[in-house]
Amino acid sequence: METAVNKIASAGCGAVTAAGLGMEALQRAVAANASALQRRELLIGKTSQPVVAGFVADEITSQLRAADAAHADSRAFLFAAAALKEAVKNAEKILDSVPAARRGFILSTTKANIEALDKLVRQQIVSAVAQRQIQPAFLAADLAETFDCRGTVQCVSAACISGLSALQQGAVIIRRGLADVVLVAGVDLISQFVLSGFNSLKSLDPEGCRPFDKARIGLSLGEGAAAVVLVKRELLSSPAILISGAGTSNDANHLTGPSRDGSGLALAIRRALAKAQIAPDKIGYVHAHGTGTPYNDAMESHALRTVFGDRVPPFSSSKGIFGHTLGAAGVLETALCVAALQNNFLLGTPRLRERDPVAPDSLLAEPRAALKLDFILKINCGFGGTNAALVLKRESP
Amino acid sequence: MNDLVIHAASYLGPEGFGNDLTGLRAWPSPLKENLAVGELDGLHWSLLSDSDPSRFLRMDLMCRLGFMAAELLAVDFDALSDARRERLGVCVESFTGSLDTDIRFAQTPRPSIFAYTLPSTVIGEICIRHRLKGPVLSLISPDTNGANVLAEAADWLRSGEAEMVLCLGIEAMNVSTANSISLPENLSPRGWHGAALLLGRPENSPREKLFAAGRLLEVCRNLCSVPEHAC
Repeated sequence: METAVNKIASAGCGAVTAAGLGMEALQRAVAANASALQRRELLIGKTSQPVVAGFVADEITSQLRAADAAHADSRAFLFAAAALKEAVKNAEKILDSVPAARRGFILSTTKANIEALDKLVRQQIVSAVAQRQIQPAFLAADLAETFDCRGTVQCVSAACISGLSALQQGAVIIRRGLADVVLVAGVDLISQFVLSGFNSLKSLDPEGCRPFDKARIGLSLGEGAAAVVLVKRELLSSPAILISGAGTSNDANHLTGPSRDGSGLALAIRRALAKAQIAPDKIGYVHAHGTGTPYNDAMESHALRTVFGDRVPPFSSSKGIFGHTLGAAGVLETALCVAALQNNFLLGTPRLRERDPVAPDSLLAEPRAALKLDFILKINCGFGGTNAALVLKRESP
Repeated sequence: MNDLVIHAASYLGPEGFGNDLTGLRAWPSPLKENLAVGELDGLHWSLLSDSDPSRFLRMDLMCRLGFMAAELLAVDFDALSDARRERLGVCVESFTGSLDTDIRFAQTPRPSIFAYTLPSTVIGEICIRHRLKGPVLSLISPDTNGANVLAEAADWLRSGEAEMVLCLGIEAMNVSTANSISLPENLSPRGWHGAALLLGRPENSPREKLFAAGRLLEVCRNLCSVPEHAC
């Protein structure tokens, strides 16, 4: 029996990350299990400090600025638009057949074009466009207009589950019949604002994150954008990757730390599995949140054991490649999961040296081919005790 | 939406606070349109609850408004079983979101403020207080009238994903904060208010139902008296 949300397919993906411009650059980094984290000397508050993070290369930003002078000082717009352009190109034929009024748009972000706020506070000059796009709602509206989406436009801002929540919303909009196609884009920037915040919480690893490692001490921030084109299943002819189920939950425990036992995340996973109407043993791979903070990775490990018992599927974290991209993370990591299902490929955990015994031993240090991969579980967690899970399914030929 | 009911509704803003259609109660001393976070204080919290205000006093204005709106519903969430709280969804829709707090954090970064630079934090605060486990959703919309979260809540209820859903509409932008960075008013309307609705199915009511949900927006707008930017 099909469930309510499992007739929504992914038709195209795009990305701008520390690994480069485009999905291909990202997949090369994934295949090589290579980290694109870099060390830069940055101002945090009033002091200059070394920061290891997933920065989008300056050459890419320059290239995007040269192609779109009107948005030159809104990197959030430039990154999101570049990711959308790639995703739309991959789904060109389908999009051409859908009128603009039947195309929806959902933005996932925590802080939109926050750099402009940093500049305003320092009394620096900011263009009217960059200033407007501080507001997530306006960044969403501007991107929707650029990509000719005249149907439902929404912005999800729900900490680090924003991306998965946005994909879930996209699926809901199609299922309700409000759109035939929904472009979902996630974007966030490394900024003074975000660095100050995470630095003040002592969440950053000065040497770069090591998800699920015994010696992990914190996360690495990342920046960039990703986009996924969701379509009504009927619009695709070949076997598709479907959103099969989705769920969210709250820990009801702590604002900035996860629950220790992972029960909240386990609840979100069970909700997603129930929507997908599959038993846990159908999941062939889990793409974890895996930030590299001691508490998050331990909590996720507990949640996986709670749901899967002693048969936790192979799982890994990609944040060692491009860092924690916050509001973009769910969309970006889902785009990787779509590619994994298409290519029968499991991702590794770059920068892992020694697995923490708290993590199940099915943790993948290196990428590898999958023997059989029909369902992937993608999970994210965030501030405010939020958790989200998405089940992706590969249709049989 | 005639298969759904509003179990409870609440509103608070400069003109007062209330949780039924009979009118708003005035604040003990007038609260300005230009409200600073510290001006909605423990005294105001004590009008709604005799619980310790220390957590409330740590919050930013957006969270205080949402927290108070939820309290003002006068629903005894603690009386619900764990299983029912696990099926109680919470969602928020806003236009200004956390921008007021974002500006203050950008000007003076402090760890205690950082957690409040997210519009979804209010959901976390309410879930912690009432031990609610979701599902959850946080939307930022340019044309906020609560319609998006109400549609989502209806969907959760009809699909059985949730038994009840607490929907919040909150706007909080202090004039002085916005002016400190010369933020144009069309980018961020000034003012403050919060509204909450507890939606559910008739058979699951924790108390006598108040309104038929088919009149939901009308009811809420009447209650809010601020049609543009509150639920």
